[in-house]
Amino acid sequence: MDTFVLIAITGIGLGALFFLVASGLSLIYGLMGVLNFAHGTFLTVGAFAGLWISTQVFTISNTWTFVGAMLFGGLAGGVFALLVERLVITRLYERHIEQALVTVGVALVVGAMLSGWFGNDPRLLPTPHWFINTVTIGKAFVPVDRFLYIGASLVLLIVLTSILRFTRIGLIIRAGVENRSMVGALGINVRLAFSAVFFLGGFAAGLGGVLVAAYQSGVTPLMSGSWLIYGFVVVVVGGMGSLGGSALAALLIGVVNQFTNYYFPGVGDFVIVFLLAAVLLTRPQGLLGKVGR
Amino acid sequence: MLRWKYSRPLLGILILILAIGPMLSFGMLKEPGIQQTLAVAFLYGALALTYDMLFGFTGLLSFGHALFFASGAYVTAILIDSYKWPWYIAIPTSIATSAILAVLVGSASLRTKGITFAMVTLAFGEAGHVVISRNFGNLTNGENGLPINADRVPGIFIGVINTKYLFWLALAVLIFVYAAIWWVTQSSAGRVFSALRDNEVRTSVLGLNPNRYKLLSFVIAGTLASVIGSAMLLVSGNAAPRYATADTTIALLLMVILGGSGTRWGAALGGILYSIASTRLQDLNQGKALASLPKIISGPLSEPAFILGLLFIFIVMFAPGGLSGAYYRIRLRFLQRKGEKTASIPV
Repeated sequence: MDTFVLIAITGIGLGALFFLVASGLSLIYGLMGVLNFAHGTFLTVGAFAGLWISTQVFTISNTWTFVGAMLFGGLAGGVFALLVERLVITRLYERHIEQALVTVGVALVVGAMLSGWFGNDPRLLPTPHWFINTVTIGKAFVPVDRFLYIGASLVLLIVLTSILRFTRIGLIIRAGVENRSMVGALGINVRLAFSAVFFLGGFAAGLGGVLVAAYQSGVTPLMSGSWLIYGFVVVVVGGMGSLGGSALAALLIGVVNQFTNYYFPGVGDFVIVFLLAAVLLTRPQGLLGKVGR
Repeated sequence: MLRWKYSRPLLGILILILAIGPMLSFGMLKEPGIQQTLAVAFLYGALALTYDMLFGFTGLLSFGHALFFASGAYVTAILIDSYKWPWYIAIPTSIATSAILAVLVGSASLRTKGITFAMVTLAFGEAGHVVISRNFGNLTNGENGLPINADRVPGIFIGVINTKYLFWLALAVLIFVYAAIWWVTQSSAGRVFSALRDNEVRTSVLGLNPNRYKLLSFVIAGTLASVIGSAMLLVSGNAAPRYATADTTIALLLMVILGGSGTRWGAALGGILYSIASTRLQDLNQGKALASLPKIISGPLSEPAFILGLLFIFIVMFAPGGLSGAYYRIRLRFLQRKGEKTASIPV
């Protein structure tokens, strides 16, 4: 029972990190139809920004500096995403394949720049001392940091949902996901919603980058590789453009991955792909996706 | 119409030079190092061609194409090394296995379209990479790659002195793949591929089953990729896990975009140039050519991906059609100046 609790919470924590990557991907795809291969770069840029502020600006490392690093990483990821959207993606308006291609190029170039400047060796991100503590739930010793990932994702889910639900820009985004051309035809500036979605997605990914760096204890230019692929899987399983679907799918995939890896070491990633194939064969639009897009 | 009338004879002469080059006692082609670089480049050119059929002709943006390249190399290596099969049985078995794999992966992922298809094939490709790098069943030797047992390969492919045979093998594979792709894309099925790329709804209204043709294209491309994978196993001497990564497929995409998609020769040229460029740029990095520059510039410049990525972004944004597109545009202008009214750019 105690291992069960431990694995379940670790799985939820992992799912929380997946959600941070996938939420932006899902919104960007849902609204603009862009398959964003540069999303992993947003994560890496956020992680490097978090690393920079925690080592160069903050002299100590406590809870508040870590929260600061998370927010700063998120901001860096968001601003970077905004730049990519403004400078590159809008110029290829409505040409989805080319947009996907150009994000591949951005990912290559930025990855190469970071490798060239910082090398590919992992750099340790300072974390508050309580990160290594555990709490006892029942008889299980659960590392505290898992709860941080879950908490951060929950907060982000609430914030994103509130933005989508209660603000004007959120309304435009939701309408755009439903039918973009109609929103444009009504004279509403959809382009503004594009930028907002890229900023929010970049923010989530950048914040996720800082947390991923804490989770796998290091920042490298190559850190985003498998996270991006998991992000894609989560988006497809959850349903394109559905934030709730992404959250559900991220949770499912995180937990399934951890349990499989515990009982059959090394098989976890493989089972995820089977899960993906099963979802595609039975429900091609994803768990909470809408038909007929 | 746009083809230059001397282009085919010139290509024939070029192939003849390449074929004779290693036998001569002078010229660059007698160096084993250059033979090896070119052999790898030819195989990447051939691989880019198969990807061009998938992406440029059929319009399928697959991010899992490397899977079949890797399965061609790995299944051959496993059959030869672990099961002691002779190479002339191992290679056809490996190709057949890859073809079946392509049918399975293709029929599952083709339930989706467009961008979702890209994501799904990416996930399947990554699963292949995981299987290889985690060393399931102790068959793939994990991250270290699987070197081929030299005793079980024809002697003419072993040793530096015999690099010229590998060079000829790679050249033959390139010509074979080129001919196969040419034949497929010119056939009636190939015309349906292009029709699907241009307008899938209209094609299905004409009574043609889109998924059947897409699967055909996917399987042919995958099978040819496994042929190239087996050749790569001989040329490079081992099966490496990076063959199966998404980075390999992304490199293929770069090659095709660089050379220009949907023209065959563009993709082959793009693959050859890309392969040579990334090898040479790496040498540049190891040399001292960049040492005098400040690190903020020399760092990124020493990464081949930086220059190739910038070039890629430039081509996608400002010069669609890549090298072959540029060639056709120049040729078109030349013909129009000569007064030819009917000249137009082929798709």
